[in-house]
Amino acid sequence: MERRIGVYICHCGTNIAGIVDVEAVTEFAQKLPFVVIARDYKYMCSDPGQELIRQDIKELGLNRIVVASCSPLMHERTYRRVCQESGLNPYLFEMANIREHCSWVTEDHSAATDKAKALVSAAVRRVFYQEPLETKEVPVNPNTLVVGGGIAGIQAALEIADSRHKVYLVEREPSIGGHMSQLDKTFPTLDCSACILTPKMSLVGSHPYIELMSYSEVVEVSGYVGNFKAKIKKKARYVDVDKCTGCGECANVCPVEVPNEFDLGLGQRKAIYRPFPQAVPNVFAVDKQGYPPCRVACPAGVNAQGYIALISQGKFKEAVEILRRTMPFAGVCGRVCTHPCESECERGKVDESVSIRSLKRFMADYELKVGREKAAPIERTKEDKVAIIGSGPAGLACAYDLIKEGYPVSVFEAAPQSGGLLRYGIPEYRLPKKVLDNEISYIKELGVKIKTNTPVKNLEDIFNKGYEAIFLATGAGISQKMGIPHEDAKGVIHALDFLKQVSLGIKVDLGERVAVIGGGNAAVDAARTAHRLGAREVSIIYRRSRAEIPAASTEVDEAEREGVNLHILAAPVRVLTKDNQLAGIQCIRMELGEPDASGRRRPVPIEGSEFDMSVDNVIIAIGQAVDKAMLPKELEYTGWGTLAVDQVTLQTDIEGVFAGGDVVSGPADVIAGIAAGKEAAISIDRYLRGVDLKEGRPTTIKRVKEVSKEGVETKAKPAMPTLDLEKREGFTEVELGFDEKVAIEEAKRCLNCGVCSECMECVKACQAGAINQEMEEETVEVEIGNILIATGYDAFDPSPLYHYGYGRLDNVITALEFERMINASGPTEGEVLLKDGSSPKTVGIIHCVGSRDKKYHEYCSQVCCMYSMKFGHLIREHVPGAQVYEFYIDLRCVGKAFEEFYNRILEEGTIFIRGRPAEITDVAESPEEQDKLIIVSEDTLIGRQRRIPVDMVVLSTALQPRSDAEEVARLFSIGRSADGFFLEKHPKLDPVATMSDGIFVVGCCQSAKDIPQSVAQASAAAARALAMISAGSIEVEAATAAIDEELCSGCKICYDLCPFHAISFDEEKRVCQVNETLCKGCGVCVAACPSGANTGRHFTTEQLMAEIEGVLV
Amino acid sequence: MRYYSYFPGCSAEATASPLGLSVPPVAKELDMDLIELEDWNCCGSSPYGSVDKLEATCMAARNLALAEKRGFDLVTPCSSCYITLDGADSHLKEYPALRDQVNQALAAGNLDYHGGVRVRHLAEVLYSDVTPDVIGAKVSKSLKGLKVASYYGCQLVRPAVGFDDPESPRSLDELVASLGADVVSWQLKARCCGGSLVMSEQDLALELINKLLRNAQENGAQCLVTPCPLCQINLDAYQSQVNSKFKTNYNLPVLFLTQLIGVALGIKPNALGLQRNIVSPMKVLAPYL
Amino acid sequence: MTNTIVKAPAAEVSFIDEVCSIPGGEAIRSCIQCGMCTGSCPTASRWDYTPRQVIAMVRGELRDELLSSNSMWFCASCYTCTVRCPRDIKPTDIMHALEIIAIRDGLSTKRSRTPVMYKCFVDSAKGNGRVYELGMMLKLFLQTNPFAALKMAPVGLSLLLHKRMPLRPSRIKGRGELKAILDKARALGGAK
Repeated sequence: MERRIGVYICHCGTNIAGIVDVEAVTEFAQKLPFVVIARDYKYMCSDPGQELIRQDIKELGLNRIVVASCSPLMHERTYRRVCQESGLNPYLFEMANIREHCSWVTEDHSAATDKAKALVSAAVRRVFYQEPLETKEVPVNPNTLVVGGGIAGIQAALEIADSRHKVYLVEREPSIGGHMSQLDKTFPTLDCSACILTPKMSLVGSHPYIELMSYSEVVEVSGYVGNFKAKIKKKARYVDVDKCTGCGECANVCPVEVPNEFDLGLGQRKAIYRPFPQAVPNVFAVDKQGYPPCRVACPAGVNAQGYIALISQGKFKEAVEILRRTMPFAGVCGRVCTHPCESECERGKVDESVSIRSLKRFMADYELKVGREKAAPIERTKEDKVAIIGSGPAGLACAYDLIKEGYPVSVFEAAPQSGGLLRYGIPEYRLPKKVLDNEISYIKELGVKIKTNTPVKNLEDIFNKGYEAIFLATGAGISQKMGIPHEDAKGVIHALDFLKQVSLGIKVDLGERVAVIGGGNAAVDAARTAHRLGAREVSIIYRRSRAEIPAASTEVDEAEREGVNLHILAAPVRVLTKDNQLAGIQCIRMELGEPDASGRRRPVPIEGSEFDMSVDNVIIAIGQAVDKAMLPKELEYTGWGTLAVDQVTLQTDIEGVFAGGDVVSGPADVIAGIAAGKEAAISIDRYLRGVDLKEGRPTTIKRVKEVSKEGVETKAKPAMPTLDLEKREGFTEVELGFDEKVAIEEAKRCLNCGVCSECMECVKACQAGAINQEMEEETVEVEIGNILIATGYDAFDPSPLYHYGYGRLDNVITALEFERMINASGPTEGEVLLKDGSSPKTVGIIHCVGSRDKKYHEYCSQVCCMYSMKFGHLIREHVPGAQVYEFYIDLRCVGKAFEEFYNRILEEGTIFIRGRPAEITDVAESPEEQDKLIIVSEDTLIGRQRRIPVDMVVLSTALQPRSDAEEVARLFSIGRSADGFFLEKHPKLDPVATMSDGIFVVGCCQSAKDIPQSVAQASAAAARALAMISAGSIEVEAATAAIDEELCSGCKICYDLCPFHAISFDEEKRVCQVNETLCKGCGVCVAACPSGANTGRHFTTEQLMAEIEGVLV
Repeated sequence: MRYYSYFPGCSAEATASPLGLSVPPVAKELDMDLIELEDWNCCGSSPYGSVDKLEATCMAARNLALAEKRGFDLVTPCSSCYITLDGADSHLKEYPALRDQVNQALAAGNLDYHGGVRVRHLAEVLYSDVTPDVIGAKVSKSLKGLKVASYYGCQLVRPAVGFDDPESPRSLDELVASLGADVVSWQLKARCCGGSLVMSEQDLALELINKLLRNAQENGAQCLVTPCPLCQINLDAYQSQVNSKFKTNYNLPVLFLTQLIGVALGIKPNALGLQRNIVSPMKVLAPYL
Repeated sequence: MTNTIVKAPAAEVSFIDEVCSIPGGEAIRSCIQCGMCTGSCPTASRWDYTPRQVIAMVRGELRDELLSSNSMWFCASCYTCTVRCPRDIKPTDIMHALEIIAIRDGLSTKRSRTPVMYKCFVDSAKGNGRVYELGMMLKLFLQTNPFAALKMAPVGLSLLLHKRMPLRPSRIKGRGELKAILDKARALGGAK
């Protein structure tokens, strides 16, 4: 068909015509090929302008239209409609932008005119090749997603829901309400924020058309306008929203207190909490941050934070129960554990680690003191009998876990009494037998059978007696030899034998002078025991330096206090004998050389430094080994002489036989033995149930990431009281343990790293049975037609402004902190208080903190002037006679009744000083400045520097984009403006829409604004969404990609690139296809297609080449 | 060994001679080779920049051009020389017209400026290149128990130079701590001492100096330490003037950073010019010498 | 950017343009008169006009009034205003620029000894290639108030006694080259 093109040049008033010579352009256009008519007009977009085009189409039979005017963003739709109304396909229209691209960007008339001609020429050439395209209609899903439950989100949700359309309201906090719920009064009317907000919040909570998803976040969005899909992650709340009645009993019993975010850390909340009493939903949530470091560090996984939290509440019996969930040895471990937990304790980064071990001991002692109730035997639910050989910590821990699983368990012990090294290796003054007996009795009361004096030599026998599984935990019970001459002389004793004999009450003949060789706990135990038995001169000989002694340092200190001599950097060379009777020991001095494999410096003998010590006895304590003679023959050993087992399952080479503790690891500490016993119990249970032994082991533990130490005041840990030296004659226990008061105080030093301590007190307290500590997060998918984003703002953190002293100087607070303080339901119940509890007599309020500052935010935060003046009013209302200074740069009182409010505050007597303060200092320069905060500022209206001493400073902090605004923007494919807030489609004419159709932005996520503006935007966006819902369907872009199946090679490059998932692959034809409703016409696939099979409709190669040629004319 | 071109500055030869004396032995102990810039001239300091910008820039540029020949970083222990040389360098880079003029002038002295040298303050080199850790490891006489107030002054940290915070710097504190000394926390550690105005507006300068000494003393300082010659002279040589004007009785030694480091490294007092300090530091340093 | 940092302005050049044309002075137009500079200034109490007012006066074309005031001569170059200014203006640089113009135009105040002190300093640096502090100070006191020298005497004496005041200047070898450079600079438009 013959091309008949009409060209229309718009003056845009003087916008274009002031620079571009429109007549010349028109004349130029008139001469272009196929141009039938070229006209210019003052306002082409006006009705008469449009009418011109309509008429020409009709009268001159035009079939292609070019308008040269403003941006297509502005009026492309207008002119396409004109074409359509005149019977022309709207895609036969092309627009040239001679305003933004010409007149607005140059002052040079002729250059602008030349460029306008080029653009018109390009448009004319291009439109020649344009083809009619058909737009499609798609139905609109009538459901709406509102993201963010502040006042904007609430308002929008209610507007839409009231029209009986479904709304999903997603809020990431446990309650809706947003920042408005934190505010006290609202300017300029001074009505109570809560009073006007909470009715709306409860409406949301009960509205039949609103599905409230609190404590949830949108994690994925797909689809397009009218047909979105969103995935929403519901975080684990650990409380059933439907069952919880909001009674608060759980929080009453919760032992963990942490700073309350809602009160900006000015008040405390429990680990199970609701942010504030009027929360919607009125449901609690548990704050779990992961396992605390102490629990992660414990080889047995003991929940130390749990029992410490309960001790801090005086709930000592409940505290022991927490420990017993994991293992039975509170009293034992409370005394002899090597406490790896304390090394990891986060409190140690502030001052000193919490005395976790001593607290454990305290609760065991307490129970023993008040009397323990007999444990109820555990019901036997399983048939398979388990035999445990050895009754040390590993064996008993394994027995304990298995009996709790319902297995019949028997423990075989060769010695006359159970307990292993706990009984025979650790002296009474360190671990009283009654403590051990109590804990073993507890195990027996549960139903574990312990057969003492019963050595096991043959595993077959055990299996033959009907046991299905065996755990070998026989320990490492023989002493290692020194390998020096005469070490078998009479008078040389091995530490373990020595300690065992003493504990069995067998008399050991000791002389006056005793030398102990070694530096481990056994050496120190032997030395102190020898001392107690009457030896007058006891020496410990150790080959490295003091810092490297492996025994617990407190034990070494106590030994020295008791009179034991330390000979460090010395090693025995030979035992000196006289008539085969011990006479002394020869040693050599050592020095420290290069570090060895353990990282400690290797001791090297100093040649010729030998010296003799005359002693009556030598006790050897240089290590222990596994006694193979006591074990069944058929087992395999490692090169170290310990039993060989699978590292994860602890199974030996014999099926059904497991081993752990010292017999596998070599001599180790008690808690490692307990941990091994517990692992073995898991394996045995799995083995007996026929479940895979290895799957999911070792388990991964979620350690808490970061522990806030803000505001933690340093406090040293209490010293452990010990028995007076003169009273240490016999074997009375040396360490005396904490009393209740000390224990509670010490427990309060715990930082509650994991927040929830999993003490389970809330579960016990909840009558509704709403608490589920095992809850996991879940993800749901919803389908919606429109999305409203109302994610709000963050308050600016003024810490980087060092000169304002926030976080450094007391009584410098932020605006939001002040809101909580002045709020009747806040942490101070509405009292304005200084750190010392008194009321401020003078308060300085500093405007524009973080706003109007190139270093932070260049924009004005819009609300600070007004809320600052509100603060001025409230301070004077709450603290009669208080003087208030407002430091401002410019006062912006530009809303309804705002100026009147300013007048009111002026008349009330608040003093306004025009000037941005330079600093707040506590360095006084005169007596009246003493102990005050001094605001140093220029009073710019006087033209002088002033120093104003005040008691309190409120920083009117900026409103800034949420810290995760970038992720949210990406999630919803919306833009951000230079200031970081979400970008609206048009700042004046389309302030709530975004460049992504169907997605709207409202409230402070779009820019800083006050409540009325946020509410108005919310209603506006709701109206926009409802308009689409009531229309029922929408047109989608016709300029999509199109794939020529003949040419497509099926390489799928386009398939992978498409950001809208609009391309599918036909497996049968081996070609790609475009879903035209999903396609946005972005052109990525077109550019990427290697075979030229992919064309962008309305952006064909022909059209683009013509356009380029046109520009180049 | 680290190599640098060294620019002592005029003061280090005269009123700040303890600085000039103490830098070389300390540098040697710390494996730094400070090669003095041959025939360097006055940096073109701020008084000069307040009288004639182009001439002042030429003064600085002659030094920069001389330093370019060797190529190492140009290190000065003087805060004023530091910002003058560094400021001239960045202005020459930022303003091509100025650079053209300066290069025309330099040509008259057979020199040219290409902008190939980095200007650095000795304190920054000690902090960033040598590092407190390494200095700490070389300490032979720990200053444990000595309460030291680090005085940064202004031009070491302002206008923003990037290596330390302009309002609440910590580099000197870390260096002092590495020597084992107790770091005094005081509010005015980076506040102005009056600089060269002490010569023309003595009353004003003495007021500022008094504020600094009072704040340091109130926070328990036994002595102050500073890298800057001007600051040191103001606080040290004018301390008696302050005492008579304000009826105070300060007796606070003011050490150069290199002097204090030198003491901890076990360098002899003579070599550090300790006798040249007006307020004698011998008493407070006695336990460490 | 401009190359006229040291050239006399043509009569039609406004004062604000003159200041804007000096490296570091460009941002003066964006001042919002908040007073952060004055508040931060350790010497502001002595200024005839506060730092903020100085900027206002530049914009108000109060040229001679400002240049003959004592204001900028009290700038101690501490740069506190510069690091705190919320508009990234560099007041310290602007003060130095005003000092240069004041000296060049013979407007610098006699109520402060700073202008003379600066000139003595420059003369000393130029002549020797390095600053000779003793000579410079003596010159300063002779030119301003010889009696003030007496007040200074104890300080000078103690410096002398502590070997911190050499009696002879230090001179550079390349004084000839330096002179050539500075002469050329002056020919290119340097003041005086």
